Amino acid sequence: MGKKTINLSMSECNNREMRIGSIISWDGKASELVEASNYEQRSRHEKKHGCNGGGGKACQLCELNMPFSQQTMCANAIVACQIGNLTDCILIEHAPIGCSANNIKYNISFNIGLARRGKAPQTVNILNTNLLENDMVFGASDKLRRTIDDAYNRYHPKAIFISMSCSTAIIGEDIDSIADEKEAEIGIPVVPLHCEGFRSKHWSTGFDISQHGVARQIVNKNPVKQKDLINIVALWGTDYFTDLLKPLGLRVNYLLDMASYDELHQASEAVATATFCHTLGSYLATALEEHYDVPQVNAPQPYGIPATDEWLRAIAKIVGKEEITEKYIESEHKRIQPKIDELREKLKGLKGAVFTGSAYAHGLICVLRELGIEVQGSIVFHHDPVYDSGQDRQNSLKYLVDNYGDVEYFTVSKTQPFQVYNILQRMETDFIIIRHGGLAPVAAKLGVPSLPMGDEHFPLGYDGIIRLGNVILDIVARHKFDDVLSRHTTLGYTDWWLSQKDPFILAHNPDIINEPIHELNGGKYDG
Amino acid sequence: MAKELRQIAIYGKGGIGKSTTTQNLTAGLVEQGKKVMIVGCDPKADSTRLLLGGLAQKTVLDTLREIGEDIDLDDILKEGYKGTRCVESGGPEPGVGCAGRGIITSIGLLERLGAYTEDLDYVFYDVLGDVVCGGFAMPIREGKAKEIYIVASGEMMALYAANNISKGIARYAKQGGVRLGGIICNSRNVDREIELVRAFAEELGTQLIHFVPRDNEVQRAEIRKKTVIEHKPDCNQADEYRELARRIEENTQFVIPKPLTQERLEEILLEYGLLDGIENDYRI
Repeated sequence: MGKKTINLSMSECNNREMRIGSIISWDGKASELVEASNYEQRSRHEKKHGCNGGGGKACQLCELNMPFSQQTMCANAIVACQIGNLTDCILIEHAPIGCSANNIKYNISFNIGLARRGKAPQTVNILNTNLLENDMVFGASDKLRRTIDDAYNRYHPKAIFISMSCSTAIIGEDIDSIADEKEAEIGIPVVPLHCEGFRSKHWSTGFDISQHGVARQIVNKNPVKQKDLINIVALWGTDYFTDLLKPLGLRVNYLLDMASYDELHQASEAVATATFCHTLGSYLATALEEHYDVPQVNAPQPYGIPATDEWLRAIAKIVGKEEITEKYIESEHKRIQPKIDELREKLKGLKGAVFTGSAYAHGLICVLRELGIEVQGSIVFHHDPVYDSGQDRQNSLKYLVDNYGDVEYFTVSKTQPFQVYNILQRMETDFIIIRHGGLAPVAAKLGVPSLPMGDEHFPLGYDGIIRLGNVILDIVARHKFDDVLSRHTTLGYTDWWLSQKDPFILAHNPDIINEPIHELNGGKYDG
Repeated sequence: MAKELRQIAIYGKGGIGKSTTTQNLTAGLVEQGKKVMIVGCDPKADSTRLLLGGLAQKTVLDTLREIGEDIDLDDILKEGYKGTRCVESGGPEPGVGCAGRGIITSIGLLERLGAYTEDLDYVFYDVLGDVVCGGFAMPIREGKAKEIYIVASGEMMALYAANNISKGIARYAKQGGVRLGGIICNSRNVDREIELVRAFAEELGTQLIHFVPRDNEVQRAEIRKKTVIEHKPDCNQADEYRELARRIEENTQFVIPKPLTQERLEEILLEYGLLDGIENDYRI
């Protein structure tokens, strides 16, 4: 085992932008981003001057500096939808109540997830210390202690997590010491999570913080190997992995959403860790590999036929089931090929675009192109030039470009509806695939239907290609709704913005932000 | 017609004598029949000791912590020398919470409880020397104090701090109406002090409003928990504070300061001979 990159002796995990150089604004061709990312060199932690990985892993790419953001999420919210979605643990948000505003939404996704996995419905397990002005002035440590006691006495959880908010971070609440003190007192893990919203420029650091806490304090430090158990780092998706992996004799251990304490605890006992999206899964997979000798699957994500083949073969190699797996792959090809041929015929001439999270978008584009759908553009919400694993076969953007060709308009931008307009103008597309609702209205008003991919496992594996093809036929069949909508609605942006070709003109000319609207409409910065 | 309330914030380097100067100056004003309230904005809560004859008062934040929101003005406001109204904001326990937010909370509470009555002529905010965060700038934001006086001496660090405070005033002056009324020199008997501080003040675009000489009567009065005016009304130092009070009362020069660059500040120090002559400096 080489040098450890993830330090579990610290309660805080490093921000994603510091660790792997993640960026949130970029515009160009996918192939250019592959080159700029310099995945291979970054994965070796080499230092080099200049950009393209200068300064080692943590160097950021030459990133557009946007002076304006229409909306965003934060790491604290991500911790709520990860740790707050465990079945028998409690998350205490040490925060003013507003930080918990998202929990109504997370309660819905939690219950949808529970239903998908065949688990009983339940309410989201989140408490909030409800900090008020005086708590900010005097400190709120006693309130947190009381909340931990209440959580323990009322709900008898297997573990309690504490999440930091912007306000508690500013006043320096010592959640580490309180966690230590209460853990010794009540005898269950009490896990501090340093996820204050302002600490990282991208919310995905919240995934890493959640996973850091689990890897550090929940997983079994004296694991007994379970030879038929595989970890899948996932969100709320339907359990398609079980069917995909059953022929290899593997049981799936989903992490983190909807998992129980025991399921998290046994993560160190699995034979391998894989994921539906490296953006999400790489931190935990790498932590489990470095600290508990659970290997991660060095393969492309299982989207499209060749990637699914390679993914299965990589797992087969770890568990020594190569022969069975080859037969399985062969029979699956035979089974799905006629259906895929049929779909390709029906989908002929269609164009699609993908506006989703980073590595997941790379996979989705592979599936669309596998189905013969043309993809001219994509928005990803951030970009990781390398993943924590640094494994060569996990370079998902390079895999896409090498095997399915370039993406002409590849945009990194975190869910900014105002840019969706200009981005859609420069590409041709019959539909968009999204996972974040706020993007659909802009497209709809332009007559472009959206496929809201609520179940992120939908396009996975062999059957996922068929599922996705079928649902796209449904989506484009109802384009009339969007056509009508586009004829009767207008977008709320100025004529000047609607005439812009460059979605990043504010980054290229930051002075615009101080210009009065009539100056802009006068054509001063026309692109 | 109601008379205009003058709300004044006193800033300056820690230990420069802000509290002592403010209280002695207040004594000078109340002698003239003015109605004054002092709001101590320092977690150490020692801004009203000389007017109250000791640390006789519970701070706003202690009261809030112990009694809760349901408090009367009498719980936190005490009358001191000749009817001076005294309030101490106080702070959280050291090392927890946020003292800066505490100032904001305290001033908000004073407003809700009706401490700013129409008969007041002056409210003084005596602020922690190091303006460590936005909370300590509260008295000069949101239309509270419109006048600032900076207490300084001829010592380099005092002028350095005064220059930094001026940067803050210049920032807030753009949004609100806050203006610098002048520099009060609380003398430390350093070489050519009055010339130096006057030159510094002029460079900032303001005035040396008064030079308060160093006098042991101040310390004697402090030991007795009194202002100089109360302790020894006939001494020279009492007249100095009366003069300071008169000048503030009559002041019409309110400016947006023009902070100096570090280089210029050091040039002025050199010019007035503070930095040469170090080899002859036998002070300890």
